Amino acid sequence: MRKQLNKEVAVFKSRMNRKRALIADTFCLTKRRRCAADSVTGESQDIRSSLQYLVTLFSRKLFNDSLPPVVLKHQLYSLHNDKTSVDKQVNELRETGELLMFQLGFDSEAFALVFAEDYRAKVLQGEAGRGTLGTVEKFLTKLIPSCSDLSFNKEKMLKEFLFTDSEITQLVKSGVLTVRDAGSWWLSIPNSGKFIKYFIKGRKAVLGMVKKSKYGEILQTELEGRRTTSQVKFQMKYHIHDIIGAELVECIQTTSGTLLRYVDGNVN
Amino acid sequence: MLSFLYARQSGLDDPVRLRRAESTRRVLSLELNHNRDVDRIHGNGINTLDIEVIDGRYMLSGGSDGVIVIYDLENNSKKPQYTCKAICTVGRSSRHVHKFSVETVQWYPHDTGMFVSSSFDKTMKVWDTETLKPAEEFQFDGNVYCHHMSPVARKHSLVAVGTKDPKVQLCDLKSGSRIHILQGHRGEILSVRWSPRYDHILATASTDSRVHIWDVRRASGSLFTLDQHNGDKSKTSSEAVNTAHNGRVNGLCFTADGLHLLTTGTDDRMRLWNSATGENTLVNYGKVVNESRKGLKFTVSRGCSPEFVFVPCGSSVAVYGLHSGELITMLRGHYNNVDCCEFHPDYQELYSGGKDCNILAWVPVLRQPDIEDEETNSKRVKHCLYLYRSAGLD
Repeated sequence: MRKQLNKEVAVFKSRMNRKRALIADTFCLTKRRRCAADSVTGESQDIRSSLQYLVTLFSRKLFNDSLPPVVLKHQLYSLHNDKTSVDKQVNELRETGELLMFQLGFDSEAFALVFAEDYRAKVLQGEAGRGTLGTVEKFLTKLIPSCSDLSFNKEKMLKEFLFTDSEITQLVKSGVLTVRDAGSWWLSIPNSGKFIKYFIKGRKAVLGMVKKSKYGEILQTELEGRRTTSQVKFQMKYHIHDIIGAELVECIQTTSGTLLRYVDGNVN
Repeated sequence: MLSFLYARQSGLDDPVRLRRAESTRRVLSLELNHNRDVDRIHGNGINTLDIEVIDGRYMLSGGSDGVIVIYDLENNSKKPQYTCKAICTVGRSSRHVHKFSVETVQWYPHDTGMFVSSSFDKTMKVWDTETLKPAEEFQFDGNVYCHHMSPVARKHSLVAVGTKDPKVQLCDLKSGSRIHILQGHRGEILSVRWSPRYDHILATASTDSRVHIWDVRRASGSLFTLDQHNGDKSKTSSEAVNTAHNGRVNGLCFTADGLHLLTTGTDDRMRLWNSATGENTLVNYGKVVNESRKGLKFTVSRGCSPEFVFVPCGSSVAVYGLHSGELITMLRGHYNNVDCCEFHPDYQELYSGGKDCNILAWVPVLRQPDIEDEETNSKRVKHCLYLYRSAGLD
């Protein structure tokens, strides 16, 4: 009971401090201008380094090294406060061709991010020795520096990219395209079915751990230290960034660290 | 604060700047105040609130029991402790009261002699405030979810009505008839809103996940619909192409200058649109919990910089920065779901009503008077001198 009270007091104090900081900001415009100048150059480096950090959390050997490291876009929201600027920077990286974004099937808002170089390397590695190698290479060269679409329809494939029907079938067979509906395809990661299956199972298991804790809340450090069940194949931190970024749990700053509280009304 | 005052006094700054800074500070310090209360008249949840624009003195509320109440928000009692009294009520005993829940009430934009209410009993009534009798009654075929009168219109007095029917109806107060129908939606209309900038621009939101922007002077269809992906058809599955949200769109609010439009949907997202081009500004507010089956009434602050959005989220009101998308704070105080909130632009107060039959007034916290003593006095004098000097150097 007292622990609950202390936590509530800590939440209140942190909220008051944040409000006071905001009020101080309104009246101290010069300070803000100075800080903004510093942070502009620093920010875009931050997204790339956060992506690289999240890539290290991805377990490669789970898939026998056949998948490139996949990061979800909302995992970045857990590392950075300003979601709008995260979105903007991700789009910039996509425009320059450094990053590729994919629509994963299970949630219309969940986007996967893969570094273009990793993607190209893994796909060609997977295609080595197969007849479809040539078509896939041609597709990758068209895609990587210039195109940042998530899905393609028949017109585009035939007219812009100059692929034939049989070549499109080959691309679908190799896993680079998956069917979206009649005459259009999503860009996809080959062999990603297993990834999605383990990911959804793991997410459900981690959320279950948070939900079953006393009061439906658990300290982040405690959750990281918990023994993972056989359902959870990825690293705990990978899942934690995911559930925080997707707002499936509420993040509360307390004196003993970050508290994750299960949010009711989740359909998962 | 002192530097702002000095700058205004010496003419270095525009007078608006001080006003905006102080309004922003007040909005950031909104809190429940035990000195301010609103009379509790409703026996059932409160669905809608409206504060009149002329004086900002009277507030209308409509409840799930069909009751409409008018409150006086002004404190004439010379005491800090004040309860906003209900001046008059259209209660259950009145002959003309709505039979079912009142969904929307709105004061006539040009004076408080008249107000319009619409309800689930498929009628919309135009009331005379003096006698509390309806001067006009419009009948519809389905439940009326919402209605809105243009706040800036001088040339017309059209009321846009959204009902269960996918057709948006325009009723004319001068002639008392339904003169226009806007076709284009495929689902129930959950929210309608006139633009505060142009008197002919109307936005409508519907359960078919689309938001249409209309020019009522045109005979043909809508001007454009809002597309969440800004025309990038590749980003989503083909059914969701050209939709504003991935679920029902149940809330609409224009910003005070009419340049931007906010929409909320049951996909738990809130989006900010450029109202002239229909472009999604892609400001990411995160998850804005929205489980409302009918319209959601939310509001935007006025006169602050940056502006704030107040959205009812479950049993609290969430305050977001309009252009940054940052969650500033959650105003907690209601015991049950909050259905509506209304911002008082002159006093920077927020009134919110919900299913717990309470209307709560969120009042800015006043600056605390400092306790004078020798040490702080001398420090303050030094600080003032420093500010004056630095302002002089600017």
